[in-house]
Amino acid sequence: MSDTAKSILFALGMCIVCGLLLTAAATGLQKRQEQNRITDRQKNILYTVDLISRDKQYSPEQIVEISENNIRKYQVTPSGKIVSPEEAGGKQTLPIYVYVDKDQIRAYIIPIESQGLWGKIYGYMALEADGSTIAGFTVYQHSETPGLGGEIDKRWFQENFEGKKIVDQNGNFVAIQVAKGDVEKQVPEEKKSHYVDGISGATLTGKYLSQGIEKTLSRYEPVSLCFRKNRLRCRLQETEPAQDEK
Amino acid sequence: MKLTRTKAFKTFADPAWYDNPINMQMLGICSALAVTVQLKTAFVMTLAMTFVVSMSGLIISLMRRIIPGNIRIIVELAVIASLVILADEFLKAYFYDISKLLSVFVGLIITNCIILGRAEGFALSNPPHLALIDGLGNGVGYGSVLLSVAFIRELFGSGSIFGFSVIPESAYAAGYEDMGIMMLAPAAFIIIGLMAWVQKYLANSRKS
Repeated sequence: MSDTAKSILFALGMCIVCGLLLTAAATGLQKRQEQNRITDRQKNILYTVDLISRDKQYSPEQIVEISENNIRKYQVTPSGKIVSPEEAGGKQTLPIYVYVDKDQIRAYIIPIESQGLWGKIYGYMALEADGSTIAGFTVYQHSETPGLGGEIDKRWFQENFEGKKIVDQNGNFVAIQVAKGDVEKQVPEEKKSHYVDGISGATLTGKYLSQGIEKTLSRYEPVSLCFRKNRLRCRLQETEPAQDEK
Repeated sequence: MKLTRTKAFKTFADPAWYDNPINMQMLGICSALAVTVQLKTAFVMTLAMTFVVSMSGLIISLMRRIIPGNIRIIVELAVIASLVILADEFLKAYFYDISKLLSVFVGLIITNCIILGRAEGFALSNPPHLALIDGLGNGVGYGSVLLSVAFIRELFGSGSIFGFSVIPESAYAAGYEDMGIMMLAPAAFIIIGLMAWVQKYLANSRKS
């Protein structure tokens, strides 16, 4: 057998062995990894409303328990009405998570899905019951450059959002923007509450994230409006929580 | 024969100390900067790296007589890449939080020059047991530097060790502050530079 044929055969053999091994490992561990991802998402929901601390460790059971006791999931129509899964039928609905403490709505949490520089950014944003103040923000999945855009999953960046407003003094929706650099230096006084500190070296990530958050927030604007005006149909206690997966 | 005189011991001690991959050969600096902010990530990185470098050494050494010379680099890379993906999948399944902290750096073990260097320079021309020991030695050499750097950075940067606060509250009250630079990559450069200087000085004074 010639040397070339030998090399090709050897390479083929390697491919098959490595391929089989990796497929076996990936399928074998998939269930556990999926479970980890679900727990991680639940954890991030809890982080936004400070129900759990980022400094402590929690078991998956604790996470499930805390979120079952405090967080309710609802589906709302694009116009802002809460619907049960049956009512919704095939129509498009938006998921929202509501943090209820002693029968009082403390905050509502909306999932954020945004374009990033290299891939999609997924996270959650919690808004206080006044419908205009940000209570918390987290990112649980992204593919930005570590050290640059990747800083969006760091605590300093996320805590930056807390207390910022998505409406101006006149009650008009303005969303929230990531500034280029420090808010203190870059943004005029009257707009400071609508901007968060940017990440140096990651201007594009900030730009995409700003756009993504604005898009999501404007889709949820009818819901936020309900909270702001405190209209009756927004009283979530009157409707039963949706029974699907939390 | 004394233990320290055996070939196996020498194979282990050389990369672990005398020929340390980071301090003496200046390899693998990139990952040493990235994962040494906390001891926890440095420790997991050390384990993953030691696993990959020793197992790839063993496997390549076992196959060294049948690997065709013209495609040997590709074969080495295939072995290394498979092992790295295995380690990554395992971390995602059992240590999800840490694997998130390490993000791409586990995957980037593939490009760590230490591993390909050992495969090409040692495993291909030595018997399996020595290749395995050489891998372990390199893992220990790499890991000890990583852990020392992480220890210094975590202690001075966030006032904790393995996540437990060790600087008393009273010190903070008295005006002590964590060093911000320790959280940034340049701090690792400075520490590794100092460590390399000390180690080279020690090595030279032994010789003369």
